[in-house]
Amino acid sequence: MNRPTLSRLWKFVRNAGATICGVAILVALLPSKARSQLGLDPCCAMMSVGLNSISGLLRSVVAQPLGSIQQNQQQSANFEQKVVFPMTAISQARNMAVQFEGQFVQMRQLFQLPISSATLRTPQLLEQSLLSGNPGAMPQITSNYSALYGTVMPPANAPQSVRNMVDMTDAEAQAAMKKAVETDALANLELQAAEQINQQLQTAAPGSSPILEAETAAWLVRANAYTQSAMAELVRVRSIELANSSGQLKFSASHAATLQTTGNQVLQQGVQ
Amino acid sequence: MRMKTLEFLRNFQHRLSRSRRWLFVAVITLCLIPSTTRADGIGDILSLFHTITSTLQGPIGGALSEMRKVSAAVNNFRQEIIWPLALINRTRSFVSATRAHYTGLMSQIEGLKNNSATLALPMQLESMFRGAQSGSIGQIPSLYTQVYEPVALAGIAQPMQRNLMDIDDAMAMDSLKTSMVSDQTTQGMLTLADSLEQQAMSTAPGSASMVTAQARVADLVTQAQLAKMLAAQLRQEATKLAHQNATLKHSATTAQNLFKQIQQVLAHP
Repeated sequence: MNRPTLSRLWKFVRNAGATICGVAILVALLPSKARSQLGLDPCCAMMSVGLNSISGLLRSVVAQPLGSIQQNQQQSANFEQKVVFPMTAISQARNMAVQFEGQFVQMRQLFQLPISSATLRTPQLLEQSLLSGNPGAMPQITSNYSALYGTVMPPANAPQSVRNMVDMTDAEAQAAMKKAVETDALANLELQAAEQINQQLQTAAPGSSPILEAETAAWLVRANAYTQSAMAELVRVRSIELANSSGQLKFSASHAATLQTTGNQVLQQGVQ
Repeated sequence: MRMKTLEFLRNFQHRLSRSRRWLFVAVITLCLIPSTTRADGIGDILSLFHTITSTLQGPIGGALSEMRKVSAAVNNFRQEIIWPLALINRTRSFVSATRAHYTGLMSQIEGLKNNSATLALPMQLESMFRGAQSGSIGQIPSLYTQVYEPVALAGIAQPMQRNLMDIDDAMAMDSLKTSMVSDQTTQGMLTLADSLEQQAMSTAPGSASMVTAQARVADLVTQAQLAKMLAAQLRQEATKLAHQNATLKHSATTAQNLFKQIQQVLAHP
């Protein structure tokens, strides 16, 4: 090898060495590298103190209240399960509904026992209509009533005022009979509804039973209204009866006055 | 090689001038001084710790503390105000005491007999229709007929009169039978009421609504039965009114017939 070649080679090696040294120095001077090389860094101590502080706070500020909340909730759940909503009491209430069902069915069947008692044909037909509990039998009540009690007498047989009174009385009597049939039919529906609600109660929960109670209360209001309607019909029957008594008294007074007048006339003619 | 390296370093030292050497040392020193980035990193960590601790102490800790207070307050409210166990037990005792106090008295009143007939046949009939036994319904017609006599025979009374007698008897007997059924169901209802009261003695606040609903249903059944009794009364009253009206119609016809007969007699002396 000649000298210039060696000189260029030496120059190249020298530059490369300088570059490598520079890079090595730079790598050595990087902050992270410096920290790891210098042993325990102040940052680590800060991290340790900070994390310890956080851990302590988590224990005191977070974990302790959470534990207390959990304890409260557990206590509340136990209280509700043992005192407010004990399963045994709920089951007993359901079982009672099962027992009541049999009683309700028995009562309904008792009211379905045949009670008809008429022995003659015409009364039997009217009685059958009255006890049917079938609102569809209303027209038969009118015809059966007329067949048994007769119709309003013809004009030649009685004064118009008497015919009016008789017609009014027949109307009210028939209306009361029809109302009795309606009331029976409504009562049958109420009994059916009561049994259905009772069946629902057999599987009800404390949260759903107030809904059933509200439904039953609505039915009760309805039932009371129907009873009130029937009571009004009863009052009307009694009113017509009272009016008839008054009417008959008036007729009697009128007849007595007419008789007196006629008697006076006869006596006067006899004197003359 | 080692010799060459030592020689290179010596040459390197000689080649650098004094000022260049200071420049080189300054660069190296600058690199060794804790950089700004490093200072900024420590500040951020401290700031982060401060944020975390203040968040734990403030929003999280405060909220949890409030939740704990609310939870405890709700728990206390439930146990001391809404469902105090002592009051629940006291109420159960009250129900039990009420039941013990009134059941006997009411049973005594219920057990009173209202029978008042003095003769044999009326006594039998009265005893029957006050017996509250629906199984005895079939015996009512015969006993009723023995007391009130059967419908007049065809030759003794007019057909219309016989019909009136029959329907009146029928409605009277129907109502008596209905009253027997009603009395029996009343006994059943009283038994149900007793069961409800017993249940109330041991029920819990949560299941009381179920017992109440059950009582409501029984109430509805009672109302329906009351309606049936009212229907029976309506039939009775209507029959009574119709009977009076039919009598009036018959009287009018009879009077008219009498008037005609008198006229005939007067016309043919």
